[in-house]
Amino acid sequence: MRYGMVIDLKRCIGCTGCSLVCKAENATPPGVLWLRVVKNESGKYPQVRRVSMPLQCMHCAEPPCVEVCPTGATYKRSNGIVDIDADKCVGCRYCMMACPYDQRFFLSEERQYFGEGLTPFETHGYRRHQQGVVSKCNFCVPRLEQGLEPACVANCMTKARAFGDLDDPHSEASKLIRDRAGYQLYPELGTNPSIYYLPP
Amino acid sequence: MERIEPFQVRVSDLRERFRPQREWAEGRGLLLILAHFLTGAGAGAWLFSVPFGLDLGLVVGLLLVSLGGLAHLLFLGRPERFWRMVTRFGSSWISRGLAGMSLFTVVAFVYLILLVLGARQTLLGGIVLVLSLLGALWIVVYKGFVWASGKGIPLWNTPLVPALYIAYALRAGAAVILILGLLGSRAAALEPLEPAKLWLAVSTAVLVLVYLEVMRGSGITTLRSVNLILFGRVAVPFYLGAVLLGLLIPIIIGGFAYSGGVPMGLLGLAALLSLLGDLAIIYCIAKAGLYRPLPA
Repeated sequence: MRYGMVIDLKRCIGCTGCSLVCKAENATPPGVLWLRVVKNESGKYPQVRRVSMPLQCMHCAEPPCVEVCPTGATYKRSNGIVDIDADKCVGCRYCMMACPYDQRFFLSEERQYFGEGLTPFETHGYRRHQQGVVSKCNFCVPRLEQGLEPACVANCMTKARAFGDLDDPHSEASKLIRDRAGYQLYPELGTNPSIYYLPP
Repeated sequence: MERIEPFQVRVSDLRERFRPQREWAEGRGLLLILAHFLTGAGAGAWLFSVPFGLDLGLVVGLLLVSLGGLAHLLFLGRPERFWRMVTRFGSSWISRGLAGMSLFTVVAFVYLILLVLGARQTLLGGIVLVLSLLGALWIVVYKGFVWASGKGIPLWNTPLVPALYIAYALRAGAAVILILGLLGSRAAALEPLEPAKLWLAVSTAVLVLVYLEVMRGSGITTLRSVNLILFGRVAVPFYLGAVLLGLLIPIIIGGFAYSGGVPMGLLGLAALLSLLGDLAIIYCIAKAGLYRPLPA
């Protein structure tokens, strides 16, 4: 089994709702963006095109971050999800140097959104994050364990995201990749990302 | 003026097409650069001190490696968990480095005790010495592979980086024992080292040129990184530190020394400057590291 995601760039309108819901779901502190949307413009007026591209951990089948991690804190689950055991992480940030997609974040200190102490939401949510360690998207493992889809998939208002088992040729994700010529970012690096993009 | 928090810089970087890596070059990241410099210089000093019989060099070599180890620890986000870092010897160069540093620190310390006890000529002394030399060699070699093994930063992801780090560690080691020799009035004993040091300085200069030229033609990200070193925000430490202090002045003084007639103090100055140059080049390579542009 290999969980993966397909992002349809034709459907994505760049609303950054996925980014927002990721922050809400995972209570990530300021400066930590497990999911972000990059806007890319090409062409010249009047032939201009703007494509919004959501970026997050690619959950590579051959993850360079797992290979370099000196403690085994970064590991690959049996379902293909690349996750971090924060209790094992020493904060050397080697994985950040190894990730070609720059999708890892180091939390060096406690940060708050508002300058007057932590809100009840932050107080509750930040229990999930340790200081001095690296964090990243994990496809919302707690939601998956409850049989739910990752928050970014469930909340995408244009249904631009499909989540499923890439090893299953009949899954929606596999079909989309096959039918719409899904592509990966930097395939030449040999990381074999589990996030595919459908051309705009 | 409003203070810009580090995380705001990080968020701002995410908007850039070529995002700079800052974790290993700024703030506490400077400790990592210092650590790699100190461990390289210390291990190099140990390697050169043995054939030249410079006992003070052995002590300083171990001290520098220990200080480097301490800097490594201070760099970590969770230093209290450092012992976990030896668990992935099979795949992680940091694990391999920690194993080598631990081996070296222990056996080098034992060797120094044997030295004090006058027992270094024994079989045990010989075994410990060989192990310490292997440990020192391992430290000299592994650091470059830590940088080169990361796929995230194309500027580092080349076999030339380990070669460069080995050359710089040996150069720094030679500089350390040259300074110690001059301080301890052992300059005559270290005379054979001077041509070796000049050769190391010249070959390192060539290696830096080759590295920059190769990386310039290795893709848009590496070209951008090289431009940062040559013309951008890394240019000042590169030209002033790595080139002028680290290469040109030591090569010129070394050249005069090779043909004879250079005061010993000037040789010491050249060695000191080359150490600063070594630190500068490690900093420049780290600071110029950029991630590939996204979207691809």
